[in-house]
Amino acid sequence: MLEIKNLHVKIADEDTQILKGIDLVVPKGEVHAIMGPNGSGKSTLAYVLAGREDYEVTDGDILWNGESILEMEPDERAAKGVFLAFQYPMEIPGVAGLTFLRTATNAVRKKRGQAELTTPEFMKVVKERAGKLNIDVEMLKRPVNVGFSGGEKKRSEILQMAMLEPTLCVLDETDSGLDIDALKVVSEGVNALRSPDRAMLVITHYQRLLDHIVPDRVHVLAHGKIQKTGGKELALELEKSGYAEFGEKAA
Amino acid sequence: MNVAVMKTKAETGFTEGFERVVDTLPGGPNVAALRREAIGQFAADGLPHRRVEEWKYTDLRNVMKDALPPAIGDATRITIADVIVALGPLGRMEVPRVVLVNGSYRKELSNTEAAAGVSVVALSTLLAGGADAKVFGVEAECARQSVVALNTAYATDGVVVDVPDGVTLEAPVFIVHVRAGGVAQFAASRNRVRVGKGARATIVEVFAHVPGATPDGQQSAVTAVDLDEGGQLAHIKIVNDAGRITHLSNWDVTLAKSADYRAFHYTAGAGLARNQMRVVYAGANAKADISGAFLARVGEHVDTTLLVDHALPGGVSRELFKGVLQDHARGVFQGKVIVRPDAQKTDGKQMAQALMLSEDAEFDSKPELEIYADDVVCGHGSTSAALDTDLLFYLRARGIPLEAARALLIQSFVGEAIDKVENPSLRDALMEQAQIWLLGHEA
Ligand SMILES: Nc1ncnc2c1ncn2[C@@H]1O[C@H](COP(=O)(O)OP(=O)(O)OP(=O)(O)O)[C@@H](O)[C@H]1O
Ligand SMILES: [Mg+2]
Repeated sequence: MLEIKNLHVKIADEDTQILKGIDLVVPKGEVHAIMGPNGSGKSTLAYVLAGREDYEVTDGDILWNGESILEMEPDERAAKGVFLAFQYPMEIPGVAGLTFLRTATNAVRKKRGQAELTTPEFMKVVKERAGKLNIDVEMLKRPVNVGFSGGEKKRSEILQMAMLEPTLCVLDETDSGLDIDALKVVSEGVNALRSPDRAMLVITHYQRLLDHIVPDRVHVLAHGKIQKTGGKELALELEKSGYAEFGEKAA
Repeated sequence: MNVAVMKTKAETGFTEGFERVVDTLPGGPNVAALRREAIGQFAADGLPHRRVEEWKYTDLRNVMKDALPPAIGDATRITIADVIVALGPLGRMEVPRVVLVNGSYRKELSNTEAAAGVSVVALSTLLAGGADAKVFGVEAECARQSVVALNTAYATDGVVVDVPDGVTLEAPVFIVHVRAGGVAQFAASRNRVRVGKGARATIVEVFAHVPGATPDGQQSAVTAVDLDEGGQLAHIKIVNDAGRITHLSNWDVTLAKSADYRAFHYTAGAGLARNQMRVVYAGANAKADISGAFLARVGEHVDTTLLVDHALPGGVSRELFKGVLQDHARGVFQGKVIVRPDAQKTDGKQMAQALMLSEDAEFDSKPELEIYADDVVCGHGSTSAALDTDLLFYLRARGIPLEAARALLIQSFVGEAIDKVENPSLRDALMEQAQIWLLGHEA
């Protein structure tokens, strides 16, 4: 279970407060969606979950399976099952996709006390999982994300997720940049990972994604706080009414 | 130069020491006369210092404090197994090898049978056979440098390679210079490589040390390279030593029509390394790809100084140098490209990049383009930057621990330069060598 308690976050080098008291609980087996206007702090929340240093937690706590993760390094969190699919996946020139995937997969397996995969084992798993996401293994011989289209980058994130087998999946606008068919493929990839011991937090602007990945709860994040929580029908309401109602009462 | 300047201890040491050893240096009277002339020139010019433009960032006079005793006819006992250890990952390659220990050729450690069809002879053998001063020859422009003059005065040995017209030698020929024994010495070697018309070869010069060798030493190596029409040479130099040596290298390269020259310098673990190279396009449509990777930590200093001289039309030159600088290491890149009036349609590109792993590291990069022809494409660039923290976060968010993430990014950075080495076993061995360096172990 993910428990976010009264989370206050500011940018490390500045005084700008971005998150101003987030309270959120995502039980295992559930998928929660976060929606909210541009600049409301959704990606900030995602980064803080993954442990990015540019942000400073000034108050509150984040517990994953009852344990605070705030003091953990990003790679420790990954080993504990935390995974963030980036809104803007980065390009890593000079590091081949397969090398990257294998290093990452074996690093977390080792930390989790699982046997590391040998090259043939790894190749078998990659081929199978990449295939399901319509990713050509040839593409993974190229440097990570370099020269990939927007949609290819997003699929590559989901492949990483499939390889690392996380238990807390945070997807930051994974749908943006995907064409209609790719959206289906990626959603199927995500749905395949839904399980009673996984929690998922899906950040999106569009109801469209939530037709494929049906959420248990929908939260509205605006002005650094969760302003409203509801069932999947809340996404449909937002699609119609926008975020105007959350404009004034913030901060 | 200014004769009135006070001589340093090292300058006096080299100059005065010469008289004591001149009779023990190999070669007949002509060679002795050449050596005398050279030491006279060295005595007048002294070691180069920062007021000499090409040595602006590498004040050799200040750094090279002592004249170590010259290594002459060295007989330090080592085995082939020692040489293999000294070679690190390169030792796995089954290749023709010529081994010089402290500057002297060792027949019993060498094996040139695999280089069939190609003449590979030690300089000392040629001198003993009565070869005259011509075997020392480099172009006047190169010879007048005082570090080359010092080399001419003291060179004890070296390797002379001749690849006859039309011959292709697939196996790389290794010229292995090892330091051995407990005595810090000055070892000077003189090498020549000629690649005949349409001939093709790979030559690898390695500078390393056997276990237990003193960490100190001074090395000077001058190599004259001639590529005949359509000749192809992959020429690689690998310095992988123990950290305190002074390594002075000078390559003087002449390319005939349509020659294709690929040079690569790997430099790690040298207290001070100066990799100087001049490439002269003496024929039209010649190509040179000059690249390198340098790795330096603590107070190490690696200087790459290139002069690419396009004299005739249709020449292509590519330069890519990448350095990793830790602690208060310093990297220097000076790349001068001259395009003379007749060198129309020259295509020259240059890039020098340093990865700064510490705030105390320094990278000085000085590209210089002198273009006298109008129809040319020339460009250069230089960057120096720290590891990208966003990329580090990305790797760590995927579970890769900090040290491994750093190593992956550094490797990918130098890997781009090492990829220039076309021979796959050599490339893999160099990559492995770089990884060993990055882990902080001595090879
Ligand atoms: N490293 C940073 N430095 C400066 N400002 C930042 C930084 N990170 C985020 N911000 C600011 O914090 C606010 C929240 O940004 P965030 O990226 O979390 O928004 P978001 O809800 O994900 O928006 P979008 O829907 O556009 O992706 C924005 O005003 C943004 O400019
Ligand atoms: Mg965002």
